Amino acid sequence: MKKKALYGMLLTVISISCIILSCGGNADNGDKDTGGADGARWVIGMSQCNLGEPWRVQMNADIRKAAEAHPEIRVVFKDAQNDNLRQRSHVEEFVRTGVDLLIISPKEAAPLTAPVAEAHKKGIPVIVLDRRVLGEDYTVFIGADNRKIGRAAGEWIARRLDGRGRVVELKGLMTSTPGQDRHTGFIEGIRGSALEIIFEADMKWLEPAARQEMESALARFDRIDLVYAHNDPGAHGAWLAARAAGRESDILFVGIDALPQEGQVYVQRGVLAASFEYPTGGAEAIETALKILNGEQVPKEITLPSRVFTPGNIEQGGEWLENR
Amino acid sequence: MSLDPGRSRLGRYLASPAVRALAALVVVFALGLLFNADGAFLKWGTHRDMFRQVAVYGILSCGMTLVIITGGIDLSVGSILALNAVLFSLFSIHLGWPPALVVAACIAAGTALGAVSGGLISRFGIQPFIATLAMMVFARGLAKQVSGGQKVSTAVQQADGAYRYVETPGIFDFLNSKVLGDNIAVVTLVMLICLALSWVVLEKLRWGRYLYAIGGSEEAARLSGVPVGGVKVLAYALSGLFCALAGICQAAQELQGDPEAGTAYELSAIAIVVIGGTSLRGGRGGVGLTLLGILTIGYLEKILSINAVGEQSRLMLTGAIIIIAVLFQKRQS
Repeated sequence: MKKKALYGMLLTVISISCIILSCGGNADNGDKDTGGADGARWVIGMSQCNLGEPWRVQMNADIRKAAEAHPEIRVVFKDAQNDNLRQRSHVEEFVRTGVDLLIISPKEAAPLTAPVAEAHKKGIPVIVLDRRVLGEDYTVFIGADNRKIGRAAGEWIARRLDGRGRVVELKGLMTSTPGQDRHTGFIEGIRGSALEIIFEADMKWLEPAARQEMESALARFDRIDLVYAHNDPGAHGAWLAARAAGRESDILFVGIDALPQEGQVYVQRGVLAASFEYPTGGAEAIETALKILNGEQVPKEITLPSRVFTPGNIEQGGEWLENR
Repeated sequence: MSLDPGRSRLGRYLASPAVRALAALVVVFALGLLFNADGAFLKWGTHRDMFRQVAVYGILSCGMTLVIITGGIDLSVGSILALNAVLFSLFSIHLGWPPALVVAACIAAGTALGAVSGGLISRFGIQPFIATLAMMVFARGLAKQVSGGQKVSTAVQQADGAYRYVETPGIFDFLNSKVLGDNIAVVTLVMLICLALSWVVLEKLRWGRYLYAIGGSEEAARLSGVPVGGVKVLAYALSGLFCALAGICQAAQELQGDPEAGTAYELSAIAIVVIGGTSLRGGRGGVGLTLLGILTIGYLEKILSINAVGEQSRLMLTGAIIIIAVLFQKRQS
């Protein structure tokens, strides 16, 4: 028995060291540094709520890329793996190690308001990215507006279909605010047109679920003009279902997010008729951080502009949506 | 099941797990006929799509059946699926390996991870729940590590950061297509082959009898000369093999390898096996029952989907129907 325990312990130690060693060589996941060597003047702590979503991986990549151009800053990343309390302790760790500035993309407002406020009161400038915290105890909020993007998508779709047609809406998780806002905005956008939503389902942001729901829509309706999905994987899943049924050329597919390796590629390939960008704000966060660190004034709130990508404009880098 | 000599043959027949599982399926199917969503349930295409949709779960539940028959459980199937979806995409899209080599490499990876779980269970006496829980977390991490946290798709990043779109390898299109006059998805065929393989293992091979023996009583099996450790490793290794095939099918249908794929699939696989009537205590059950479980869960999801039932009601109904099906299975007349 003792021998077994010894074996087990040895195995554990070896495997843990292997994992740590192998992580050292990798540039992405986990709690990692980037930027210049130790010549950096300022250290920025970046607390990401979840790296399980491609969009958030892209946000970190955008921050890393923007930071690389500035040797005077060094960014330390932490991933809270979708856990409020873990993110809370990450913020506290950053405060304790004395970062010069904190960027946080919080998982939820209520549980993270207090730690963010505490950091801010201790004199650490805080940039809140994408999702909000409650109250005013932060330096600047940077984010895009899902409702505006949903409305722009609705208006674009109404124009594209000349005001009439049969639409399938594949929603993101409707218990999440992005899902609700992308739906509400869309309804506002198509108001006054003769568009008819013939089938709606919650695909929970997941491509396989979207494909499954679209198969059901295809089985029920012989004519579908357009699919509006709350994210690009959803639109792609719907396209896969339509292609399997040989009906992909009769239907237009519209998605949201327009990540460079995802939505933009789908548009380029003609799979999607349009994808609406939901910007990560990573580059803007670093830009704002530098302003704050250099003592410049910044506004309390920055709303990120968004672009629409269509096969017609993708080569020119999309088209900016007008600010409304 | 008590073998009451006074009970009629019909009574015994009705009490068999297969008949009970079939009854649950018939009830779900009848619900489909009742709520046919303007006739959508009556179209063949709907059933063909259901068979496609349930294929990945079905493949996973083949391995789950083998493991549960030994009295164990495998929580790592969803994560090993994700790892293989990533590996499959990486090898075939980014490295351009020939299909046979890619499939072989994935099968080797899946089987190896399954065997490690089995080894931890038989060599170190770790509870299956704990060993496969650890493997579930580990394999998910490995999938994220290998993929760099991104989906591995046909959009390949170049040195300058721009994305270049490469053609989907033929094996993706093949697995994602339908054959026999467009009547059956290739992934459905893969599932049927997996079911057949599991059936052969369980019913025709000596090792299959060993799986039942261990599930019935591990001590008795050991005393009668069954190589308990080896058989357990085999069960989990086979489960890993099926995870690899499921991962390949998942990636082929999504045209990408998603390191987040398969989250909570282990729960669906367990539900399928249990609804079929394979006992979680081990020693009893079979792959035929699992097929009935696959159809029950598959039709249930399809019926809720074509009727566009809201997510809240869908979750509640699924939970309720799983309980009813299991109670159906448990009731002894």
